[in-house]
Amino acid sequence: MARMKFLCDAERCIECNACVTACKNENEVPWGVNRRRVVTIHDGSPGERSLSVACMHCSDAPCAAVCPVDCFYTTDDGVVLHDKDICIGCGYCFYACPFGAPQFPVAEAFGQRGKMDKCTFCAGGPLPDNSPEEYSKYGANRLAEGKLPLCAEMCATRALIAGDGDTVSDIFRERVTWRGSSGFAHGWGVAYKNQHRDSKGKAVEGKAAGGD
Amino acid sequence: MFAQLVDGIFWDIALWVFAIGVVWNILSIFRVGNKPDYSEPRGSAVAGAVATNLRRFMPRSEMVSRTRLQVIAGYLFHLGLFALLFFAAPHVLFIEAQTGLGWTSMPYWAFIIAAQLSFTGLLLLWVHRVMHPVTRLLSDMDDHMASILTFIVMLTGCMALVEAFEGLRVLHRFTVEILMVYFPFSRLMHAFMFIPSRAFTGAWFGRRGVKA
Amino acid sequence: MAAQTRTANRHHRIIIWSLLLLVAATLLLPLIPYAMDYVDPSGTVPNPGADLWRDVRNGNIGTSQVLGVDAGVLINDNGERWRHFRMNQLIPVGAMFMGSVLALIVLFYLVRGPLRIQGGATGKMIRRFSVFERTTHWFTVGLFWLLALTGLILLYGRFVLIPVLGPEGFGLTASACKEAHNLFGPMFLVALLMMFFTFVKDNIYARGDMTWLLKGGGMLGGDHVSAGRFNAGEKIWFWIAMIGGAVLIGSGFVLDFAVFGQGREVMAISHVLHGIAALIVITVSFGHIYLGTAGVEGTIGSMVNGEVDEAWAKSHHDRWYAEVKAAEGGGENEESAGGTAATGVASPARDA
Repeated sequence: MARMKFLCDAERCIECNACVTACKNENEVPWGVNRRRVVTIHDGSPGERSLSVACMHCSDAPCAAVCPVDCFYTTDDGVVLHDKDICIGCGYCFYACPFGAPQFPVAEAFGQRGKMDKCTFCAGGPLPDNSPEEYSKYGANRLAEGKLPLCAEMCATRALIAGDGDTVSDIFRERVTWRGSSGFAHGWGVAYKNQHRDSKGKAVEGKAAGGD
Repeated sequence: MFAQLVDGIFWDIALWVFAIGVVWNILSIFRVGNKPDYSEPRGSAVAGAVATNLRRFMPRSEMVSRTRLQVIAGYLFHLGLFALLFFAAPHVLFIEAQTGLGWTSMPYWAFIIAAQLSFTGLLLLWVHRVMHPVTRLLSDMDDHMASILTFIVMLTGCMALVEAFEGLRVLHRFTVEILMVYFPFSRLMHAFMFIPSRAFTGAWFGRRGVKA
Repeated sequence: MAAQTRTANRHHRIIIWSLLLLVAATLLLPLIPYAMDYVDPSGTVPNPGADLWRDVRNGNIGTSQVLGVDAGVLINDNGERWRHFRMNQLIPVGAMFMGSVLALIVLFYLVRGPLRIQGGATGKMIRRFSVFERTTHWFTVGLFWLLALTGLILLYGRFVLIPVLGPEGFGLTASACKEAHNLFGPMFLVALLMMFFTFVKDNIYARGDMTWLLKGGGMLGGDHVSAGRFNAGEKIWFWIAMIGGAVLIGSGFVLDFAVFGQGREVMAISHVLHGIAALIVITVSFGHIYLGTAGVEGTIGSMVNGEVDEAWAKSHHDRWYAEVKAAEGGGENEESAGGTAATGVASPARDA
């Protein structure tokens, strides 16, 4: 049985946010909700890297563990989904999630959290596949149509890969082999000589930081 | 099934019982009428009626210090309930759907504050009623029923606040229907009668030139 | 012949050494850059991938076009710690804590039974709590249990109530409890302030409290220990409830109104404080309820009608009893401090 995975290649992501836009468009998510976002570390400095992040569909999902009403379930494809008819919008999944995936509709003053919304790996929800109710509550169900999540299909640099975990890791392994080692490009130290960063992200002049 | 009853026939019954009951109750009080008063008027009955109506908004000066809790809690409860009943967003929408008349509703934060104040007042008043030896003796089943029913209606209303679960809305409407059926047969009628009854007292004494 | 052999041997040697050299070069030459790096750290080429992940692990905040609280945090390291606290510590330890205290109280009741009034009730009553004090108490009680029950349902409902109500049924219940909890929470601030200002002056440490504590309040046997209006045990409960209540309200406000930009870390810490304080106050309240009702004969009346038997007062709160009697002897009316209503006038109905 396939086990669905996302993988974002930090060496390829160019922070174009096309995945974010594609996701919003495909799933018609409410205002203020972003199921996917691109995070840039060291923006504007050497060593800048961007990563597109959404629900990573964990095997031992922390959101499911802490949910007080137990509304999460994992599909046969390894996609973590939740039932909005049970969700009470308490926000505990958001506290527990490592990736900040759970989203809540925009709060007013003295806000009320609405029902949680998150990336479904374009796999809809517990309602009948591709029914209007499913679409309005959970967004598209591309998996049922034999397609992969639109964010990954849209990615121009093929940084974001989605699909069966085995296939995804094969693709990435091949890339890594070509590059030499993960993220290691020959001549890097020449091109960016003496502009290393220490663990706090501060530029270190002169001698390279020993810890690096 | 139950939801259909609550939204349909139960609501109709409750509305008719409420409307007929209230009108009947008021008419029967007015039908009792007055004995003709042959005395020479020593003051204006109308002025007395108006003045007493206004004067009753505050306790007599001798009573202020002894009834501080009741006055503060009483105002909190009644003003809060008034705001909740006529200006909570779901109520405005409901009234608009039923009658076609709509007006501006409170923002969410104002609803929260109104509900807090109203609940604080209601609980304090009811506990004080039970704790004070005099009011404890004066209170009968009707007083306690009215307090408890109002509390339950407000509680179910607040539980249905997110409008996420149909069952909670139905529960709130059902408790409202019980309250509406109970209303005309109880002291809750003071919502309609407090002005006429103050006016009656004020006019009665005003004609005699007495400050009531 | 010999020369030919020598030549052949040399050829063999050259071939073997060449091969060895080739093998060695193939194996070792690629290592030279690494070896140089190893020998001379100043030439270290940082692995940008490793750097990135180390920064992310350290909570280095990035930027994102998506606006939102914590949107720039790639990995929320605290989530796992919070999950561990809630699922493996708060829920099981809390249940064991509350359960064992309840069991101890039941056991104590079965072994010791209720504490009777020494020498029996005299039938002569003296006023202990004014109407305002009782109103404050029961107002707080009502809010406290509404909040405690809805809170406990949210904490334990997944394990206890889902099997009974089903997932949809419990979702509805939990939503109702969440709304009620969020709405009644801020009102508890009013109750707590009323409680504090009504009772604080009699709950300050006084001489004799330590003696009372050391003798276990007379609960473990022996004579009654001298005490004022409130004994040391009641004072400790007062301060646990006040401090616990303050923590609950402070953390509760942070959790309730999540619109002031507080991130997950603040929310998680507030939740930890809220959970611990709630379970402590709930558990200690079991003891307070036991001593106020079944545990000590004649106590419940003080909170229902505001009156206690003179014998009860003499044995449990002898110094307070002496003060009341002295005040009465001085011709003062017995209207208690903090009272707002004419409490001493009517004879209260005894059936409530």
